Amino acid sequence: MLSVLSYGRIVARAVLGGLSQTDGRDYSLITASCGFGKDFRKGILKKGMCYGDDACFIARHRSADVLGVADGVGGWRDYGVDPSQFSATLMRTCERLVKEGRFTPTSPVAILTSAYYELLQNKVPLLGSSTACIVVLDRRSHRIHTCNLGDSGFLVVRGGEVVHRSDEQQHYFNTPFQLSIAPPGAEGVVLSDSPEVADRSSFDVQLGDIILTATDGLFDNMPDYMILQELKKLKNTNYDSIQQTARSIAEQAHELAYDPNYMSPFAQFACDNGLNVRGGKPDDITVLLSIVAEYTD
Amino acid sequence: MFPMLTLLSMFYYICLRRRCRSGSRGESLGGRRALVDLGQRSTLPVTVEVEQYAKEVLDFSSHYGSENSMSYTMWNLAGVPNVYPSSGDFTQTAVFRTYGRWWDQCVSSPAQIRRTPPSFHSRDFLELAFEEQVYPTAVEVLETYHPGAVVQILACSLNPFTQNPPADVRWEVLWSGEPTKAMNPQARQFSPTIRPINFPTNLLRLEVNSSMLEYYTELDAVVLRGVRERPILALYKMPMIDISDLSDGEEDLSETGGALCCRSAAADHKHSLGNGYFDKLPYELIQVIISHLAVPDLCRLGQCCKLLQQHCSDPLQYVQLSLQPYWSRLNDASLAHLQPRCTLLQRLNMSWCGNRGAVTAAGFCSFIRSCGMSLVCLELSCCHFLNEMCLEVICATCPRLQELDLSSCDRLQPQAFTHIAKLAHLQRLILYRTKIEHIHNHIFYHESFIEDYDVVVSLLAARCRGLVSLDLWRCRNLSERGLAELVAGCAGLEELDLGWCSSLHSSSGCIQLLCRRLKRLRKLFLTANRTVCDNDLEQLAANCPSLEHLDILGEDINTLTSTFKNAVMINPLWH
Repeated sequence: MLSVLSYGRIVARAVLGGLSQTDGRDYSLITASCGFGKDFRKGILKKGMCYGDDACFIARHRSADVLGVADGVGGWRDYGVDPSQFSATLMRTCERLVKEGRFTPTSPVAILTSAYYELLQNKVPLLGSSTACIVVLDRRSHRIHTCNLGDSGFLVVRGGEVVHRSDEQQHYFNTPFQLSIAPPGAEGVVLSDSPEVADRSSFDVQLGDIILTATDGLFDNMPDYMILQELKKLKNTNYDSIQQTARSIAEQAHELAYDPNYMSPFAQFACDNGLNVRGGKPDDITVLLSIVAEYTD
Repeated sequence: MFPMLTLLSMFYYICLRRRCRSGSRGESLGGRRALVDLGQRSTLPVTVEVEQYAKEVLDFSSHYGSENSMSYTMWNLAGVPNVYPSSGDFTQTAVFRTYGRWWDQCVSSPAQIRRTPPSFHSRDFLELAFEEQVYPTAVEVLETYHPGAVVQILACSLNPFTQNPPADVRWEVLWSGEPTKAMNPQARQFSPTIRPINFPTNLLRLEVNSSMLEYYTELDAVVLRGVRERPILALYKMPMIDISDLSDGEEDLSETGGALCCRSAAADHKHSLGNGYFDKLPYELIQVIISHLAVPDLCRLGQCCKLLQQHCSDPLQYVQLSLQPYWSRLNDASLAHLQPRCTLLQRLNMSWCGNRGAVTAAGFCSFIRSCGMSLVCLELSCCHFLNEMCLEVICATCPRLQELDLSSCDRLQPQAFTHIAKLAHLQRLILYRTKIEHIHNHIFYHESFIEDYDVVVSLLAARCRGLVSLDLWRCRNLSERGLAELVAGCAGLEELDLGWCSSLHSSSGCIQLLCRRLKRLRKLFLTANRTVCDNDLEQLAANCPSLEHLDILGEDINTLTSTFKNAVMINPLWH
């Protein structure tokens, strides 16, 4: 008797699940951002969505929601180049491309390639380099398409578990894949990866899925279980609670980064590679927290 | 007292009601606003002025950026401004391909066709569509760098978004002026006083001339302000009644933009009086006199009497013909009427003409078949009616053609260009913004969709040894190998444009090689090539004594002023 009921429930769920696949509703991402620059330099007012050398963007289009993060490579500072310019301009260009509809939702690599090409159209050369991670939600097909170049990345959390994550791309320790524009003559010396080598992935999403896109400042300081703990506190899908959770994640990561005794994922990885270090990794932190919800105009 | 009070309260009540009704109806629709305007321009109790940004850029003659890019391309004119009120050189603005007099002073620039009216200043144009048709009250152009280039603003009666376009399309000039140069290159809102017109419009055209400017003009947005209801204007000037309007029958050349058309004088209207002193003048003298008339005046003059009709139809008056200033009025009928007079045609400029169905491919082909035998120069920039058949007819009928300009003719499919190979005497060919894909004999290219420029250039080096001018602007994958072959094969090159060829690096020595080989170089553009260095410039100064125009945008340059005695510099990095 019980088995019949449970069998019936399974069948009903499967049927209903099947029906909801042909659900014509469009999805959208409700996104909040938060972050902290590594050192708070007095007097330098960055435009919104820039945290230290990191930058991010959130853009809406009729057919898709797009977000991205970019981590400017700090080493340029030693050569007199402001690393935040490259990442900020890259993200702003991606945002403009999306807003003007010059993209296809199924190919975030194309967005990155176009944006990089647009950066090269400046008469005054824009020097610097950065990683990039772009996440696109195709409203109609309910699929997420991503591309990731470097060590920024994303997590997809469903039912309290990580169901998708991005892979880091590194050349060697602390040297991620990066898009760059070098000064003339230095092209051979500066690492420059093509947008084509970015890691791509696509997967379906469901209502209520949480997507966390962040630069390595977060992932190097907070292991997954801590992030999941914070995400459990996210109760509803309105913007304010998402903003609050994003802020709490970023703040926690920021605190841990300056804790000298804490065994951060970065320190763990270093130890695995023979470097005896301990403590957090002070770095710019950028967190974009999104929830998949129904599309409302 | 009571009647006074009632009167006052009535008055007050009426005023209050008026104010209520006029409260702002906030209508915000992505770039459009409706403002209520009381008193100033209204002849009705309440007029609603609509303010719109451009919805779409429909057509244009050129732009600085690459076709699929967002940087410095005409697509930036649509929508709200990106940069204004900031000033400066920004990639998010719309920029035309040329400025100043540099391109006019080149060897390769075409000779001016005679009889071009001095009031025709336009060098470039763009056409914008707006969402809603209104009777325009103001047009504001937001210029963000080196303003002053707009010379004409026109409005069209056609709604470009309509499914059934009407038969007659009228263009009215809202404002026209001379090319100017603003005192300082900062951003400004240009809003000239425009003429009122008697039809609603949502299609505007801006014509531009940057020849007085010191650098590229950059446009950010265009605002069209207008009213929905037709204003009853007390001072509305009726269009001038032309002499030709008095005759009935076919359309005439009129002020309000009828077709450019010439009627043959009817044999009935004969005067018994002679032609006065005109009969005593020798034929050639009258020909010289009327050779100073612009084409529409020439056609009108031919309607006076039989003698002048004979003079004005003489094919010797139509050896050089520029129809570009009359682009809005040219149609198949006009071409048909000009046909019998143009049998000796050598230089024809039909750029910008015939769009939106005014000239058909068939009409054009019939014109060329009867008039094209002696054609030497044919300018067909932005002629969107051109198709493969037209090109076939041109190449078959005009064996002596030396100059052909097909820029922005986007209806020509790639296979259409194979016909050009038949033109054995071609000296100047412009294929800017066309869909050409394949290589042919003796042809040079202006930024098209070709994949491999090294192959093109090596073909040129092999077949076109006498090449004088080559424009390889934005040929992205041109490498030093290709360039080396080019300079080896075409040592007589006087003009070379290598702007934005991002694969050329000075470190490979290609620029120095270029300087040593091309002794006759007069113009060299290395725009946006950041690898140019002092050594390159020293070689250039040492080997190219005729250098007049140089465009470099580099960083490691310290010897600029001292090196060049004759060169006129343009585009140093910081202006």
